[in-house]
Amino acid sequence: MHIPDGFIPLWQCAIYWFIAIVAIGFALRWARENLDEKNIPLLAVLAAGIFAIQAMNVPIPWGTSGHMVGAALIAIIFFSPWAAVLVLSIVLILQGLIFGDGGMTALGANIVNMGLIGGFVGFYAYKVLKGVGRIPAIFLAGWASIFLAAIACAIEMAWAGTFPLAEGIVFMGLYHAVIGVIEGVISVVVILGIDNVRPDLLADWVSSSKKEALQ
Amino acid sequence: MEGISEIDREAQKESFIHNLDGRIKLISAMLIIIYAVSSTSIVILAIMELYLLILISISNITPKYAIKRIALIIPFGGLIALIQPFFQPGTVIWTGPFGWLHITDYGLFFGALLLSRMVVAITAIVFLSSSTSMQDLVASAQRLGVPHQLAMLLNLTVRYLFFFYDQLENILNAQSTRCFDIFSNKTSYKWRLRKVGETITMMFLRAFEQGENVYLSMMSRGYSENTRTYRAKTSLDSKDYMFFSGTLLVILSLQLANMFVL
Repeated sequence: MHIPDGFIPLWQCAIYWFIAIVAIGFALRWARENLDEKNIPLLAVLAAGIFAIQAMNVPIPWGTSGHMVGAALIAIIFFSPWAAVLVLSIVLILQGLIFGDGGMTALGANIVNMGLIGGFVGFYAYKVLKGVGRIPAIFLAGWASIFLAAIACAIEMAWAGTFPLAEGIVFMGLYHAVIGVIEGVISVVVILGIDNVRPDLLADWVSSSKKEALQ
Repeated sequence: MEGISEIDREAQKESFIHNLDGRIKLISAMLIIIYAVSSTSIVILAIMELYLLILISISNITPKYAIKRIALIIPFGGLIALIQPFFQPGTVIWTGPFGWLHITDYGLFFGALLLSRMVVAITAIVFLSSSTSMQDLVASAQRLGVPHQLAMLLNLTVRYLFFFYDQLENILNAQSTRCFDIFSNKTSYKWRLRKVGETITMMFLRAFEQGENVYLSMMSRGYSENTRTYRAKTSLDSKDYMFFSGTLLVILSLQLANMFVL
């Protein structure tokens, strides 16, 4: 889903960069206002962890492999979509600048798709579906965060004239509908795992020991 | 997985290019990428690629490593570039059996253009990250005006990247000594996915715990909200100006050639 350089015209890149910069600004303000000092280094170290996690290939049933993005997971654990925007932005900046994974001119679009859309979709999907049950809500939040980020990516490519809209939505949608299942399952396993070992690290709304999670 | 240590190994080498100021290399690489993305001439992109390859060859960067890195990043975008001839509008120059597949002249050109832009941009990034250490890149970005808080986060992330790659490698090595292979079909897919989830949980917990330790060690050294990372002032010297002028000259010459010759 990392859009490379050259696939989006510069004037459209400028729009995504603008949205991404405003989003990072809001995310930094959220971090200053809502996190204690401790959580700021924590976010950075977590970004390094997410970076390594993204480097780990996960097999997909028909033979190819994908990797986790983690936006919904971070948004749910930190009880804010801005946490996902901040962590994913750091990861994407470094992936683009050091590894060439995702273009520098397309960095704004990649932050918008994976950080902003992924984080907000993951957060609000969990918020809306929490009543259904904690596990299905985490799973669907993870799935939807990937699926809708991929659809956004297809729309951006179509607007750029790089890929036709209908085919883009079908192919990107189908592929990421499968990748999304993996994201959803892993998000559930990770949150349940943390809940077992270090429940204090989870926000109240997803911790099994807090009644907010069960409402 | 081993990519990160290779990048670091190359970035620690000594050469004229390695000794240049990080800011100059960062701005030059970004200028090259922006110009490549805006270019619609494959000839110009080919000349830019040649310029970058010359820079890589005088940077003491291992050529095999550079080519391998460029080739490894291409597949995702390359696939999209390769299918352009089949759906971009234009004069049909080839029709497949039963008439359901067409190749257009514009599609061929556009696909080649996308691929060329991408290759130039990736080569610029490979050149930049193989001749500048990650810490230097982040410090250069901060000197160029990236806000303090974001720069601090980037700096800390870069510092712990290697740590977590090692951690993940340790976990994966431990799993392989127990004959666990996530790509093996001998065990059920569901079980393997759960094991991957557990590995990621472990990574997450280690990241959390490391984050807490980092915070405590930062506190014990006097860290507070208003702490600023000290960056010694570095001034640009003649070699930096020379390199930057050279890159600017290449871009300007290409633009002039594009306007009057090509």
